[in-house]
Amino acid sequence: MMEGPQLSWYLVLSAILFTIGVVGVIIKRNVIAMFMCIELMLNAVNLTFVAFSSFFRDVTGQLFVFIVMTVAAAEAAVGLGIIIAIFRNRESLNVDEASILKL
Amino acid sequence: MSWDSLLNHPLMHPVWLIIGITIAFLSIMLLVAATVLAERRVLGFIQGRLGPNRVGYFGVLQPFADFIKTMMKEDLVPDQSTKFVFLLAPTVAVITAIMAIIVYPFGPTVNIPLLGPVPLRIARFDVALLYVLGVTSVGVYGIALAGWSSNNKYSLMGGLRSSAQLISYELALGLALIGVVLMSGTLDIYEIVQQQSGFFGLHWNIIYQPIGFIVYLIAAIAETNRVPFDLPEAETELVAGFHTEYSSIKFLLFFNAEYVNMITVSMLATSLFLGGWNGPGVATFPILGVFYFAAKILFFLFLYIWLRGTLPRFRFDQLMNFGWKFLMPLALINIFLTATIQAYWPDLMSLFR
Amino acid sequence: MVNSILFILFGGLGIGCALAVVAQRNPLYSAISLIGVFISLSSLYLTLAAPFIAAVQVIVYAGAIMVLVVFVIMLLNVEAEERRRARMAFLIPVAVLLAAIFIGEVAFILKAVNFDVPLVTSDVGTTKSIGIGLFTTYLLPFEITSILLLMALVGAMTLARRAVILTSVSRLMSGPYVPPEEIEEPLVERTEERSL
Repeated sequence: MMEGPQLSWYLVLSAILFTIGVVGVIIKRNVIAMFMCIELMLNAVNLTFVAFSSFFRDVTGQLFVFIVMTVAAAEAAVGLGIIIAIFRNRESLNVDEASILKL
Repeated sequence: MSWDSLLNHPLMHPVWLIIGITIAFLSIMLLVAATVLAERRVLGFIQGRLGPNRVGYFGVLQPFADFIKTMMKEDLVPDQSTKFVFLLAPTVAVITAIMAIIVYPFGPTVNIPLLGPVPLRIARFDVALLYVLGVTSVGVYGIALAGWSSNNKYSLMGGLRSSAQLISYELALGLALIGVVLMSGTLDIYEIVQQQSGFFGLHWNIIYQPIGFIVYLIAAIAETNRVPFDLPEAETELVAGFHTEYSSIKFLLFFNAEYVNMITVSMLATSLFLGGWNGPGVATFPILGVFYFAAKILFFLFLYIWLRGTLPRFRFDQLMNFGWKFLMPLALINIFLTATIQAYWPDLMSLFR
Repeated sequence: MVNSILFILFGGLGIGCALAVVAQRNPLYSAISLIGVFISLSSLYLTLAAPFIAAVQVIVYAGAIMVLVVFVIMLLNVEAEERRRARMAFLIPVAVLLAAIFIGEVAFILKAVNFDVPLVTSDVGTTKSIGIGLFTTYLLPFEITSILLLMALVGAMTLARRAVILTSVSRLMSGPYVPPEEIEEPLVERTEERSL
C-alpha cells in the first residue's frame, strides 16, 4: 500500500470487469444489452493494455488501445445497423426468439 | 513556518484549487445573469424597443427577479417510471457545461502583493483541448435523455433532432481546432495562449487560420443551439423541443446550461484564435490581461445576441446538409492546407518577427 | 498513498456500474451505467499517466458509441425484460458462482507473481509519444484502421437504407425460389429516405 497500486491490482480489476461482461453476455436476453456487455469486455482488455504500457514504459500498449477503440466504434456502427435490420423484421429484440434461422 | 513555506505547502494545493474554482464559478454565474439581461435589452434595441428596465437601474436586477419567479413555479414530473432519467438529464447538461471552464487561463501570472506570483488559471494539463471536446461530447446526453424521458412524442422528436444536430457539428468543431493545434504544436490551451503574445497582436491565430475561425464560429453557434440553428427548441416548432415538460428549477438548469455553453465556447474562441488575455500593455501591467479576456468574451456574446436578432432560422434538413456537406469538408480542406504549409514552411510566424 | 485511494475509489465505481449494467432490466439504465463504467475507466487511465487515452476514451466511447446505442434504444422503444421463466432461473446463481471462482483463481495466480515495478511518472502517455509511435512504427495498422472505418461507414449506411435491390433479393431468399419473371410487384420502386 505504500507505493501506490501495483500492477497486479489493475490486472485483477480488469479480470473482474471482463468476467462481469462474460456473465452479462450469458445472462441477458436483450440483444442491445448483450452488445453492451461485449463493449465492457473490450474495455477490460483496454485497461490491461494501458496498465502494462504504463508500468513497463512502452507506448505500444496505448497505441493498441487506440486501435481497439477504433475497431469497437466500427463494430458498434455495423452491429447496431444489423440489430435495427433484425428488429424491422421481427419486432422483438429477444435473442431467444431469434435462435432459429427462420425469418 | 514562514508565510512563504505555508503558501507552498503541498497540502495547500487543494485549497488553492477550491478557491480558484469558487471564484471562477461565481463569476461565470454572474456573467450568465448579465447575459440574460443583455440579451433581452440588446434584442429590444435591435427590434426598435426598450428591453426590461424597470426592476433595478437599467433593469440590472431583472435576471434575479426571473430566477425567483421561476423557482416559485410548480415542479411537474411526468407520471411514468423514467423519473430517474428525467431528473438526471438537466443535471448532466449543467455539469458538463460548467466542467469545461477549468482549463482556460483568465490572465497571465499576476503578482499579488501578499501571495506572490499567482497564475490566473485553475488547472493546466497537456490534453486540455481534448478534455473540452470530451466534455462537449458528453453534454449531448443531457438533451437526448431529456427528450426521451418526457414521455411526449414532440419532446422525443425535438430531443433527437437536437442531438443529431449536436453530434454533426461537434465533428466540424473538432476538425476546425486541429489547424490551431498543428500550428501551435501542443494541445495545452495555456501554451497556445502563451504563444500568441507579443508583436502587437500579429501572432494571434485568427490571422493564420481565418477559415478555421469561421468554421469554428459557425459550428459553435450550432453546438449551443442558438439562432440560426435553434430549430429544435424554437417556440413555434415542436412546442419547446426537448425541454417542453420541464418547469421550475429543472428548466432553470437547462437555461443555465445553454448560457454557460455559450460562454464556454466564447472562451475557447478567444483563447485559441484571438490571443486569450493578450493585448496592448499586458507585459507591464499583467492585471490588464483579465480585462482583455473579459472584453473578448463579451464581444462574442454580443455577436451571439446580434445574430439572434438578425437571422432567420434554418430548416432541419438544411441544417444537416450544411453541417455534413459544407462545413466538414471545409474544415478538412483547412487541415490539409495548414498541414502542407506547416510541413514546408514551419516558420510562418517568423515573417512578423 | 493518494494513488491507492484513487484506485480503490474509481475501481469500486467501475465494478459497481458494471454490476448495474448486468443487473438492470431496462436497457436504457444499462446504457447509463455503462457510461459510468467508461468514465471511471477514463479516470483510472489518468492515474496510470495516460492522459491522451483517457480523453480519447471519453470522446469515442462515452461520447460517440454510447450516444449511438442510446439513440437506437430510444428510437426502437426497447422495453425492459420481464422476469426469467422459472425453468431456467438456476442459470443466474450458477453464473455468479462460476464467475466468482474464476476471479478467485485469477487473483491467486496474479498475486503469486511479483512484478515489483513501481509506477514512475514518465512521458510515455503524452500525445507526442503516441503520435510518433502511430505515424512511424505503426503506420500500417493506422492506415488499415482508416480503411476499416470506411468499411464500417459503407456497411452501416447500406444496412440502414431501404434500398430497392436489397428488398427484392430478401424477398427471393426468404421463401421458395421464385424466378424473377414471376414476381408480381415491380422490381424497381422508389427508395424511401429515412428521416427523423
